[in-house]
Amino acid sequence: MRHRRDSREDGETSGDTCRKGQTQTMTSSFPWFGMDIGGTLVKLVYFEPKDITAEEEQEEVENLKSIRRYLTSNIAYGTTGIRDVHLELQDLTLCGRKGNLHFIRFPTHDLPVFLQMGRNKHFSSLHTTLCATGGGAYKFENDFRTMADLQLHKLDELDCLVRGVLYIDSVMSSGPSECYYFENPTDPDHCVQKPYLLENPYPLLLVNIGSGVSILAVYSENNYKRVTGTSLGGGTFLGLCCLLTGCSTFEEALEMASEGESTRVDKLVRDIYGGDYERFGLPGWAVASSFGNMMSKEKRESVSKEDLARATLVTITNNIGSITRMCALNENIERVVFVGNFLRVNTLSMKLLAYAMDYWSKGQLKALFLRHEGYFGAVGALLELLHPS
Amino acid sequence: MAFNGHQHDNEIVDEDETPSKLPRCNKEMHGHLRNDPQNEAAAPAGPSTSDRWASNATPRHRKDSVKKTRPPFPWFGMDIGGTLVKLVYFEPKDITAEEEQEEVENLKSIRRYLTSNIAYGTTGIRDVHLELQDLTLCGRKGNLHFIRFPTHDLPVFLQMGRNKHFSSLHTTLCATGGGAYKFENDFRTMADLQLHKLDELDCLVRGVLYIDSVMSSGPSECYYFENPTDPDHCVQKPYLLENPYPLLLVNIGSGVSILAVYSENNYKRVTGTSLGGGTFLGLCCLLTGCSTFEEALEMASEGESTRVDKLVRDIYGGDYERFGLPGWAVASSFGNMMSKEKRESVSKEDLARATLVTITNNIGSITRMCALNENIERVVFVGNFLRVNTLSMKLLAYAMDYWSKGQLKALFLRHEGYFGAVGALLELLHPS
Repeated sequence: MRHRRDSREDGETSGDTCRKGQTQTMTSSFPWFGMDIGGTLVKLVYFEPKDITAEEEQEEVENLKSIRRYLTSNIAYGTTGIRDVHLELQDLTLCGRKGNLHFIRFPTHDLPVFLQMGRNKHFSSLHTTLCATGGGAYKFENDFRTMADLQLHKLDELDCLVRGVLYIDSVMSSGPSECYYFENPTDPDHCVQKPYLLENPYPLLLVNIGSGVSILAVYSENNYKRVTGTSLGGGTFLGLCCLLTGCSTFEEALEMASEGESTRVDKLVRDIYGGDYERFGLPGWAVASSFGNMMSKEKRESVSKEDLARATLVTITNNIGSITRMCALNENIERVVFVGNFLRVNTLSMKLLAYAMDYWSKGQLKALFLRHEGYFGAVGALLELLHPS
Repeated sequence: MAFNGHQHDNEIVDEDETPSKLPRCNKEMHGHLRNDPQNEAAAPAGPSTSDRWASNATPRHRKDSVKKTRPPFPWFGMDIGGTLVKLVYFEPKDITAEEEQEEVENLKSIRRYLTSNIAYGTTGIRDVHLELQDLTLCGRKGNLHFIRFPTHDLPVFLQMGRNKHFSSLHTTLCATGGGAYKFENDFRTMADLQLHKLDELDCLVRGVLYIDSVMSSGPSECYYFENPTDPDHCVQKPYLLENPYPLLLVNIGSGVSILAVYSENNYKRVTGTSLGGGTFLGLCCLLTGCSTFEEALEMASEGESTRVDKLVRDIYGGDYERFGLPGWAVASSFGNMMSKEKRESVSKEDLARATLVTITNNIGSITRMCALNENIERVVFVGNFLRVNTLSMKLLAYAMDYWSKGQLKALFLRHEGYFGAVGALLELLHPS
């Protein structure tokens, strides 16, 4: 292993070194995984080396080869595992090795299946360190040991999140921009996604919308704080939708929401005032009371499941937006980056957030989004494996 | 202004107003009462004088003032909200024989109707336990009544006003709340009444400060919960809201407004949230099939929200120590409901409870952020979401205390959702 120094061109996060002064044998052995076991989903990043020499290949143990083949030749695993191919980062250099970074997810509910697979493939015999973050790294630590004979190296989810975000942003020099925003969020015909160069990112407000929400203020690479959080997150959206509409997956819920009309469900300012509430700058179309119309039997019978799904999405999204705005104001930060799998394939919420940030702050705040949405914790865990802090 | 024979211009009274411990406005009485930045309820000389008011005393002008111009009876204050109409009615108890004789029939009829019933039609209710007796307002002594009915039934109310020829009394009807704007035309066309529209937050602040100031005897208006986390020892205790400023005022109606009140005439709306009482009731109706607020609360009191919510311990297996999140804290409200198995295992009561907990905690969380940013330690929660809702009050008390490590205190007021209406009544009597 050559001595690595901070080198952006090599795709290393500036400030991190790959075990400076150590020899190759000290580098973590393959496979290189980063794992984030969340409340709803497990996010897995896997580095597939593409620069394996003939010699290396010959020495490679069978199960390692098998794992590599299994992961890279499939895009679906079992019934619920998915590899997000569109997020794959190719020709990445990590710790002196060149390869592809893969992004895989499956429901935390199916972790036992994953563990069984690890057992079957004798993963533990590879003696690799498995860096894992998220609550599940703590909750399932014993299960990893007993079911798959694996020792987890537990990491804090927010440390990993911040680290992962800063890293991914730094390596995305080519290809689609990692960071983007929405121009004209209120105008459906002209609302477009535009790349954003997140240089000099500090200070940054990072809003992670998973099952629940954490809001972090990031001042520099190694300096961040958790400002607050809210329990009304992605899990609330999905849970309520399942109850209200009978749907069972996130994708179904989003589908319904895209077809519904929340204004039939919510009580708007104009429903109470007959127009705007001018004195305090509340336009008639603003929601005064989410689901407020639903106390009326008549109105309950007149709305569709799609309307309810839409209202749920709008309610949760706007609540997050509102809380975020307060934090941005108080922390005196103008840029807000939204991440987390609530936003996966959820353009509706992204546009709502973009609009809300812009409108209520009178243009002061900018809502930014990152393509790798919910994977940053896992990326951060992988980085910890390669560059222990 | 047409009088109805209820003017007591030169009566001997000790105070024009039930003594206030807060400086209000000047007692000069030229024509309409003006709201000058001096003592409205001047140095109390009546029986309820107490030392703590002495410092607020200013020389009284009232006795030397010219004939007062009080608005004619009836005296109402109205707050037409998104869900409920709140009405305060002042019933004079010092009507002289002469006055009574001159009193027009419909005015008498209105007074009798309101004070001899505690329910009106199918949905109107007079909160008798909130009645303020022996109150002195504008030199008149009487009882202040608190009445509510669903905004949905406003047409019925208007019809009644029409039937009783309310408009012939030529009284000003001071109304606040969104409905004062939305239904302004209906008042005119259906009952021939001209509303004097007032801002709901102005009225709210005014009403809160007034009620707090007059509650010298009887149950304390302001209270808090001691030991909110310990069900066996959680008790309601009176709180003396002296030197109330600065104050964070959280009004939980259909929606929520959060105000920072710096002084009597200086407040700002800090923020609001659309997840309020209307959300609680709307979601409960959808999730449980209930149809009233009381039913929803009843169900919530019997449910267990931890089956519905995903807690920190459900994700971490315990506490999330690094950031001080205990295992019992909710990580994801309704988060367990994405699982079919869990959906089938919870009851309607659990869902009602989870809805209440979710809405309440969200308000608590937002409130806490505001208190922190505005640098205010006392938070007063009002609004009809808290009516007969001890569960939410205790949750709020607990949340404020726990998450702020004892820095914040949650306070509550007995007259909950009526302050806007009181403020409207005050505007009638003391136009600003």
